[in-house]
Amino acid sequence: MDVLVGWWDDFFWGSVVVLKVFLASLVLMVVFGLIGAAAKLSNSRIAQKIAGGYTVVFRGTPEILVILLLYFGSAITLTAIAQIFNPEIKFLDVPPFWAGTIAIALIVGSYATETFRGAFLGVKPGSIEAAQALGMSTFQTFFYVRVPEMWRLALPAFGNHMLSLIKDTALISIIGLNETLFVAKQAIGTTGKPFTMYIVVGLIYLGFSTVITLSVMALEAYGSRHIRGAK
Amino acid sequence: MSFDLSLIVETVPKMLVGIGLTFQLLVISAVLGLILAVVLLLMRISGKWYLNWPAQAYIYVFRGTPILVQIFIIYYGFPQLEFIRDGILWPIFRDPFGCAIVALSLNTGAYVSEILRGGVLGVDRGVLEAGEALGLSKSQRFVYLTTPIATRLALPAYGNDIISLLKSTALASTITLMDMTGIARTIVAQTYAPYEIFVSLAIIYMILTFFLQKLLGRVETYLGRYTQREG
Repeated sequence: MDVLVGWWDDFFWGSVVVLKVFLASLVLMVVFGLIGAAAKLSNSRIAQKIAGGYTVVFRGTPEILVILLLYFGSAITLTAIAQIFNPEIKFLDVPPFWAGTIAIALIVGSYATETFRGAFLGVKPGSIEAAQALGMSTFQTFFYVRVPEMWRLALPAFGNHMLSLIKDTALISIIGLNETLFVAKQAIGTTGKPFTMYIVVGLIYLGFSTVITLSVMALEAYGSRHIRGAK
Repeated sequence: MSFDLSLIVETVPKMLVGIGLTFQLLVISAVLGLILAVVLLLMRISGKWYLNWPAQAYIYVFRGTPILVQIFIIYYGFPQLEFIRDGILWPIFRDPFGCAIVALSLNTGAYVSEILRGGVLGVDRGVLEAGEALGLSKSQRFVYLTTPIATRLALPAYGNDIISLLKSTALASTITLMDMTGIARTIVAQTYAPYEIFVSLAIIYMILTFFLQKLLGRVETYLGRYTQREG
């Protein structure tokens, strides 16, 4: 473990980057998933088609390709736009952090679209009717009846989506984000110990996955606290 | 910045040269991964803790870490270890193709064994009790009752995993392999035309996904031929 002396802080800051990417992409993933699900459930043919295209494209393309395309594609477009105003500019890019975050959020969001749609359709019609019979408004029905029931239905799959997100952050090192895998590469350059360094990265990710899995289990228990007796 | 169609016409055949390698990675890892998955499954349902625990730990580690990290540990990390370099498996770990196959098989095996376990747990108890009443032994019940029913139940999820595996083969390009993604990245580095090349490659992958799904749908219909009802 002597070779790791002096690298702990780098790995720590790398983990912080992983965590930041995870949190930012989690928010975006939920947004994309909700928009996608709303579009698929809407009455508009066009919205349905667009959402359908979105899920087909992002579920059928390798993650690494989406990340590369978003990063290099946006760089080319930005540079071209910048050159209109200032021909001196040679290269301008979207920071790898945001290109990568948006890319993995789009990918996992396409899976979340199906999860949210399934959860929405899984709410029992009887519950909605009961809410209406009690005189609840549409708004109240949504927040007090639909959301708690959807929550229970979507959580197991949603937990898997979060695990996909945390693991996909590793791919962003390919476009130069200074997360743990990137740190490991630098450390290997100095120490010549690839096995040790990559095992450390693996353990960091295993730690993140464990925390997510435990949190989802706790949330599941919390979400179904009213029906525990019925089981 | 413009979308250069002639560049696409010129580069798509070059990328398709790599399709053979993509298929090799997919088919070999799928077969090896399935064998591993069955072994892990048998260990998990054996009812013996000294078989169950290692299998569970294996699945936990391989599902909790990114596949990219697993690939790097095997390809870059293993040569650091002396017993690997002196071992008989060194020819496999020296070769990027061998490393990619090992990493993809080990990874998909962990996921598939969980899918298979879901299928086994989904088998109706009544069927097994009927088998017992008919005097079938424990192993006969497993081969003639559990296996066909569990296969049918697990197939849709297994299909999704094969699609994931196809997408993961693109990561072989990170360890110098010239699969379709590897070739595309080389071309982009030369021409700096990410849109044309990555978009056409994404379309190629989507077509592959489409045909894989068709094929798996056929298998599903075939395996479900006894269970079909009219209407």
